[in-house]
Amino acid sequence: MFPDFDYVRPQSLQAAITHLADEAAVVHAGGTDLLGCLREHIFAVKKVVSISAVKELHGIDEAADGALRIGALTTIRTVAEHPLVRRRFSGLAQSASEVASPQLRNQGTIGGNICQKPRCWYYRGDFNCLRKGGGTCFAVDGENQFHCIFGGGGTCFIVHPSDIAPCLVALNATARVAGPSGVREVPLEKFFMRPEVDVQHETVLEPREIVTQILVPPPAAGTRSAYRKVRARRSWDFALAGVALALRFDGRRVVEGRVVLSGAAPVPWRSAEVEQTIRGKELDSDVIAAAAKAAVAEAEPLGKNGYKIPLFQGVIEEELARMSASA
Amino acid sequence: MADESKDIYFVQGIPVPDTPLPGKEPEAWQETNVVGKRLPRVDAYERVSGSAVYPSDVHLPNMLHGAILRCPHPHARVRNVDTSAASRMPGVRAVIRGTTPEADLVWKKDAAGEMRLFDPHCRFEGEEVAAVAAETPYQARDAINAIRVDYEVLPFVADERRALQAGSPPVHSKGNLSKSDTYERGDVTRGFAAAEVVLEESYRTECELHTPLEPHGCVASWEGRSLTVWESTQGVYAVQSRVAEVLKLPLARVRVIGHYMGGGFGSKLEAGKYTVIAALLARQSARPVKLLLTREETYLAVGNRPPCNMTLKAGVKRDGTLTALEFTCLATGGASPAGGTSLVDWLIRDLYTCPNVRTTLTDVFTNAGPARAFRAPGHPQGAWALEQMMDALAEAVGMDPVRLRLKNMAAFSQAREGNPAYTSTGFRKCLEQGAAAFGWEKARRETGAQAARGHMRRGVGMAGCLWVAGGGRPPSTVIVKLFSDGSVNLNMGASDLGTGTKTVMAMVVAEELGIKPEAIQIENADTGTTQYATPSGGSKTVPTEAPAVRNAAVQVKQKLMEMAAAALKTDVSELAYQGREIVSRRDASKRIAVKDLDALKRQGVVVGVGYRGPNPKNKVVNPFGAQFCEVEVNTKTGELKILRFVAAHDSGRVMNRLTYDNQVFGGITMGIGLAMTEARILDAGQTGKMVNRNWHDYKLPTALDVPADITSLPIGPADAEANNTGAKGLGEPVTIPTAAAVANAVCHATGLRITQTPINPLQLVQRLAERRKEG
Repeated sequence: MFPDFDYVRPQSLQAAITHLADEAAVVHAGGTDLLGCLREHIFAVKKVVSISAVKELHGIDEAADGALRIGALTTIRTVAEHPLVRRRFSGLAQSASEVASPQLRNQGTIGGNICQKPRCWYYRGDFNCLRKGGGTCFAVDGENQFHCIFGGGGTCFIVHPSDIAPCLVALNATARVAGPSGVREVPLEKFFMRPEVDVQHETVLEPREIVTQILVPPPAAGTRSAYRKVRARRSWDFALAGVALALRFDGRRVVEGRVVLSGAAPVPWRSAEVEQTIRGKELDSDVIAAAAKAAVAEAEPLGKNGYKIPLFQGVIEEELARMSASA
Repeated sequence: MADESKDIYFVQGIPVPDTPLPGKEPEAWQETNVVGKRLPRVDAYERVSGSAVYPSDVHLPNMLHGAILRCPHPHARVRNVDTSAASRMPGVRAVIRGTTPEADLVWKKDAAGEMRLFDPHCRFEGEEVAAVAAETPYQARDAINAIRVDYEVLPFVADERRALQAGSPPVHSKGNLSKSDTYERGDVTRGFAAAEVVLEESYRTECELHTPLEPHGCVASWEGRSLTVWESTQGVYAVQSRVAEVLKLPLARVRVIGHYMGGGFGSKLEAGKYTVIAALLARQSARPVKLLLTREETYLAVGNRPPCNMTLKAGVKRDGTLTALEFTCLATGGASPAGGTSLVDWLIRDLYTCPNVRTTLTDVFTNAGPARAFRAPGHPQGAWALEQMMDALAEAVGMDPVRLRLKNMAAFSQAREGNPAYTSTGFRKCLEQGAAAFGWEKARRETGAQAARGHMRRGVGMAGCLWVAGGGRPPSTVIVKLFSDGSVNLNMGASDLGTGTKTVMAMVVAEELGIKPEAIQIENADTGTTQYATPSGGSKTVPTEAPAVRNAAVQVKQKLMEMAAAALKTDVSELAYQGREIVSRRDASKRIAVKDLDALKRQGVVVGVGYRGPNPKNKVVNPFGAQFCEVEVNTKTGELKILRFVAAHDSGRVMNRLTYDNQVFGGITMGIGLAMTEARILDAGQTGKMVNRNWHDYKLPTALDVPADITSLPIGPADAEANNTGAKGLGEPVTIPTAAAVANAVCHATGLRITQTPINPLQLVQRLAERRKEG
């Protein structure tokens, strides 16, 4: 049941930022994640600041240089179905279409999606875990089948829940962020907080900052992007393992590319190992096998998530082969 | 000539079954005109439009909202409960706990001892500690959060596999063995000696949680010394008796109403503590109290399908003849006695002919929520073991799995005293006609010959079943009233769980009286106004209630014919009831419309009372079934997709083809949940608490997990011996073989025998990788 909170729906970004100065104030975009957090009393909330009336946060368009500009309040369904996204950033459209369920895609926003709280059941449940300011990570020795195999850093073993974020990292996107001291741009790759840096925050946003826009640079010629997700059931579920690819091909050869894993780490996890293995190569079966193997070479599975090693190998093999076939 | 246009209730031109003479029972139906058709639910509009009032919708003037404080630990002793702050909070009108005199009640006495309503010894996470009622749900929850409890936290055991190990903390003072059962016939040692192939395997099914759309709960209201409860329940009389017993009230002063309810699957067969708690809060506050559990509370405290750890050793001759079955199961009903192992061995005992069988069931206590009946208790678990073993045996002796099963058909019930015959067994037909409809042999051949087709593998699998009950039984009393305008009121005690009971019963009345189903107004599930009925469950509602409904309708006809005989000055044996009119068989000019009967006009109503008669002596009424499916496995990722299902079920007469198919699709969906997605997860190694108590983490199958291609294939004929409608139960058998059929198909596709649920990518990708390593 919800705690007692105040609710405001300011008309301007500036007013929203002002409201966020109040004690325990939080941003409400689509609310698909926030409402669950409120109901579970995961963190203290005294004021909910809805930004849905802020007009400038809506809409998708193309900048003069061909970059894609996505307002933070754009629904996930709109991202998935927008012709511009589907034509030029197919991986992004795919990742958005793989999120949750139709109802949640209609309600959830892209800004909210990248600012999600983790789904770790200890964090969400009745456990005073490290991320909530307690002294213990219950996942280390507990029910960790859905936890990370990379980047736990010995502290907190969540996986980042977003499907869209890995794609945005792969596409070298940037988040535009507004706060009391103005506007700044943060590359998505630097947007997410690793637990060893700060275990209680998932992003580098300052307390009163709001994501206003996502900027995706125009892809270089020959770039293809894709997203593939494996989950425990076929809808309304987060990734057990996923891979976002943005590869630039010259003929059949991979010139360069970014490979980012979901369901792998507390942040969208860029796999330098895969990128290095495929750079400059044609994606034949040997290269693909080597890349898949390299992807998990440094993995550190916990007691119950060892399956993620063959799973990531399988997903990466399958997806690289698919890209190679369409090259 | 009557003015037919005014006969708005009677159907024109459709014959009705013959009416037996007064005092005689009706014959079995031959052809039916309404029963068996595809009739949309009589209450479909109410359900879809939202005008149906479920207990969750009941809102009484001055009603308060209740909430329960539950123990957050799997095992603890309550030292002290301080409600002083909570009592002073705004809107709070009642606070009760174990030491409140009116709430200091015995909830039940059973094999484990006495349990109090607020028991100071909390044996599972979610046990009730205190409760409040307040003006709003929020005030009630705030008050709950303000109650301070001093717990002595005790060591716990949450994993049933450890319950009997030395040093495991005792859940009850008698220790952790709840009960142990053995069943034996023949001599398994000799049976295995006679076998040419002996296989042995271990199996496990995970704990499943009931997830009815409407959570458990009620509204309780007192008028003087009488209590009325609107409860989301499968059985209003079961709730009445328990509430009356605990509160020491006469049955007549407890009225339980449950017209609509949002599903139960077995978890609402009995009253919950919440019902009594709501009644106590209502009494203390002198206001009605609504108390609905949250989803999390239902997951913790009101039922589950217990986790089962099974072994099965089976012996078979080269020709496929079973020689011996030896089965063990260790399971848990949580902190409650029994329920953990109930009926898990029934299929091993009784599905196939086997002279030598031994089963050993060990039910243990754990610090976890209590088991409750869950759609076909025990059977899907037993099928998971037996039907996978049958496949393994078939492979070992080089036989087709369907043929191996056909080789071991049982002609009678071997596990019951005296080996009684079945009134009907369509098991052979289910296997043969199901296989034909599926294209079993061709599909098996084609999917088997696909090794070189990359990493996507297809396979087919099947499994058979029977359901131990499903015949229905007395008692049931039903009243049918025909009013002077020809409209009809059907009054019965049974609940409609959403299975379409009301619709089926309206069809029975319509069949007999020749009136339109929509002309029948139904009152049901109300201990104040309807007659005694057992809870709807066990797939027995149709075979129990439909015969009583039919008898009541027949009695209405008999009474009308007696009136007609007097009006026409003829003998009743000469007359035929034809729906709108009653006509002489000898002289067609002697006829009178039902509505023109003076006696009916004077009386205003004709009342027929129907009772459920006894079942046939020395015979067993069981439904049978077989399901077939095709799957596709991604051998790189362990993703499993079910492509199609064929479900062939012998449940006697099909009463309504639409609701029949609903049951088949729902049963398969639920079976897919057991096979692929559902598992309660306890943090057994650390805190003992449930970690997946919501709909994201406890994974019910979604529409995309269930194939669009499901064929429901009813196997006839009607069971004329079972009861006067020929129907057997359906709701449970349809979920029994599903998970095993999926596992068998996965084995056919991959060669991997997956013996633990759920078959998800977590498990499957690991097994596929291990096999690649082994080469």
